[in-house]
Amino acid sequence: MFKNKKLLVLLSMVLVFALFAVGCSQPADDTATPGTDDTNEPADEVTVKEELIVGQGADAVTLDPHSTNDQPSSRVSKQIYETLVAQNENMEIEPSLAESWESIDDTTVEFKLKQGVKFHNGEELKASDVKFTILRALDSSHIGHIVGQIDGEKIEVIDDYTIRLSTKEPFAPLLAHLAHTAMAIMNEKAVTEGGEDYGQNPVGTGPFKFNNWVIGDSIELVKFDEYHGEPAKLKKVTFRNIAENTTRTIELETGGIDIAYDIPPTDVSRVEENSDLVLQRAPSFSTSYIGFNAQKKPYDDVRVRQAINYAIDMASIIEAVYQGVGAPAKGPLGPNVFAGHQGLEEYGFNVEKAKELMADAGYADGFDTTIWTNENQQRMDIAEIVQNQLKAININTEVKVMEWGAYLEGTAAGEHDMFILGWVTVTGDPDYGLYALFHSSQFGTGGNRTFWSNDRVDELLDAARVETDPSKREEYYLEAQEIIRDEAPWVFTWIGENLAGVQKNVKGFTQHPAGHHSLHGVYFE
Amino acid sequence: MHRYIFRRLLLLIPVMMGVTFIIFTMMYFTPGDPARIMLGETAPEADVIRLREELGLDDPFLIQFGRYVKNAVIHQDIGRSYTSNRPVVGEITTRFPATLKLAALGVLVSVAIGIPTGIISATKQYSIFDNVAMVLALIGVSMPNFWQGLMTMLVFSVYLGWFPSSGFSTPMHWVLPAVTIGTASCAIVTRMTRSSMLEVIRQDYIRTARAKGQVESKIINQHALKNALIPVITVVGLQFGYLLGGAILTETIFAIPGVGRLMVEAVLRRDLPIVMGGVLFIAVTFSIVNLCVDILYAFVDPRIKSQYK
Repeated sequence: MFKNKKLLVLLSMVLVFALFAVGCSQPADDTATPGTDDTNEPADEVTVKEELIVGQGADAVTLDPHSTNDQPSSRVSKQIYETLVAQNENMEIEPSLAESWESIDDTTVEFKLKQGVKFHNGEELKASDVKFTILRALDSSHIGHIVGQIDGEKIEVIDDYTIRLSTKEPFAPLLAHLAHTAMAIMNEKAVTEGGEDYGQNPVGTGPFKFNNWVIGDSIELVKFDEYHGEPAKLKKVTFRNIAENTTRTIELETGGIDIAYDIPPTDVSRVEENSDLVLQRAPSFSTSYIGFNAQKKPYDDVRVRQAINYAIDMASIIEAVYQGVGAPAKGPLGPNVFAGHQGLEEYGFNVEKAKELMADAGYADGFDTTIWTNENQQRMDIAEIVQNQLKAININTEVKVMEWGAYLEGTAAGEHDMFILGWVTVTGDPDYGLYALFHSSQFGTGGNRTFWSNDRVDELLDAARVETDPSKREEYYLEAQEIIRDEAPWVFTWIGENLAGVQKNVKGFTQHPAGHHSLHGVYFE
Repeated sequence: MHRYIFRRLLLLIPVMMGVTFIIFTMMYFTPGDPARIMLGETAPEADVIRLREELGLDDPFLIQFGRYVKNAVIHQDIGRSYTSNRPVVGEITTRFPATLKLAALGVLVSVAIGIPTGIISATKQYSIFDNVAMVLALIGVSMPNFWQGLMTMLVFSVYLGWFPSSGFSTPMHWVLPAVTIGTASCAIVTRMTRSSMLEVIRQDYIRTARAKGQVESKIINQHALKNALIPVITVVGLQFGYLLGGAILTETIFAIPGVGRLMVEAVLRRDLPIVMGGVLFIAVTFSIVNLCVDILYAFVDPRIKSQYK
């Protein structure tokens, strides 16, 4: 009997511990319930659904747009905040918080703000908020570079609804930069009161206001009733963090979420074949490339770089690695970027020509080299295929997979031979997509990890940056892209595509090429 | 006994100090500049330098370490996340319940299935039940966690529609992750119980009990099981600690906002304060679980209790 009692004590301890473990998580549970709860209970209401659940691959880092520049945060911030001007899905600049603007001179633009715009805390938008926001942005180490051309000392508030911004020198892509999600206009009072925790209690002017955040799990936004524009059709939007790609697709299939961002290429057919779902495909601003270290032998010889471009069968890479998603790149910019040169001749797969060029360069017998990549499955796959294909021109390649931090450091220091990386031209302006990558002033950490430079390209990029006439700018950029294509500091690899899986009853959703999609006009049928 | 517990708790201090130093050193000497990783490859160098200054990353190792320890000990402040700027303590405590719940449910699954299966297997050695159980246990141990998670999700959420596929809010959400994380431990517990039981039921005192005419079920449940449990408790305790720190795959697959995922993301982003806080937290929890296991021994085996002074 006595022994039995001890066993009983032991078992009850285990039980109590289990109960404690389960019980102490209850509070977090309560907050986790909204949004996820109704996902398994099919709504039996007859009325149209008004709550949208979006699944994306990571939680937002912070909702203070000046403290981060990552995609998951931008996607949420985009619904809460607005910018002075906006870029629509076709990358046309549209009025947003500024209803009109005009150039005063080469470096100064005057913006007239829309009147009667309310922040989520009830404050009215004033020019002083705009000035405060831009000064704060300039001071941010995370996004300062996006507005770095603006001269903080020359911001002039004319009256409550008029403000003048000046750049240090003429800067053509200013409006595109002001449309960046990082340039969301914030309320001075809310930011000051929020202090260090502002990122957890964001206040904007957008169609949705922040409601609740279960860290690591979900963010809930609700409709802002006093929105100055057309009110949102949805009452609530929940962003769920579902990191695993396959899980996100499954959650979409089982009806747990209404929109799944970033459907992986492997799941494309699953979504396409499901009659309840729609796969939305739209070209994105992202591009992948294989860069050479143009200051290292043998890549300092343009013939070697060209030979490798000819020796790689890009179509098979797109098919094998990206399963047909996206397209082979002809040059450094995609078709939806302003002045993206689509008339460039693709290198194409031509081993004979590659061999000729290698022989010309004195490398008929090839050489040993390495190709670097970080732990990104697609890049590792590309590296392996390239390793295989380069054997045809006697290049013996070693694939080196590196951890992201070490990879960035190594490529910035120029320790590499070849490397695989990507770029997103978020502003849709060629300045963003070319300057950092090909200008000689940007060697290393600036973005130009190929250490390739060309005087004419430098000249063109500098000129286009200050040129305000769009047709002239286009001319400069087209010429620069031709030189880059011929000089081949990259193997032009892949132009990306945004893939979103959407429930059939979700209407009004369109994807923005930069990846931060607006949910303002979304509704249920 | 109380003195023993107190002494063990005191030992936590050097453990924490050691862990702090080791992790700080490892993170410091890992290649990759935290500021550059946070800002991404598109940020200009000037911004990276500015952020390095803001975070005090340019200071020598000993100064950085000293500052961390000073803040932790004197101000009880282990900092804010480099990326989200949220206090580390809050970041971990909001996520820990999910991990604790997941680990506890996993252990519950492994104990509830593993111990009875182990006992039956041992008492009916080489029977069909025993053979089937051992094969299943082998499969359970060898099956990769992430694969099993995806398969259960595919079968039970997509095809059968019984359980939701991800999230962790309601008991229905708990089932698949608990089974996924508990399977491997369950297999280990089964095998451990079986082998330990097999050893015990061949002991003389069991034969004596049988000779005295004791009912078989009592012999197994009262005489044999208790003595067979000691190694099993050790394994369960270790498994619980392991699940606390190693729930990352299950958390990722089922989109559970737990500490494991937080830690991996923090390591990738070089978010030192979160990594330090997380490792400390897990180390302390692991030590406490181990202490609980040691205390449990005393209940099961009085001989051990007499040694706890």
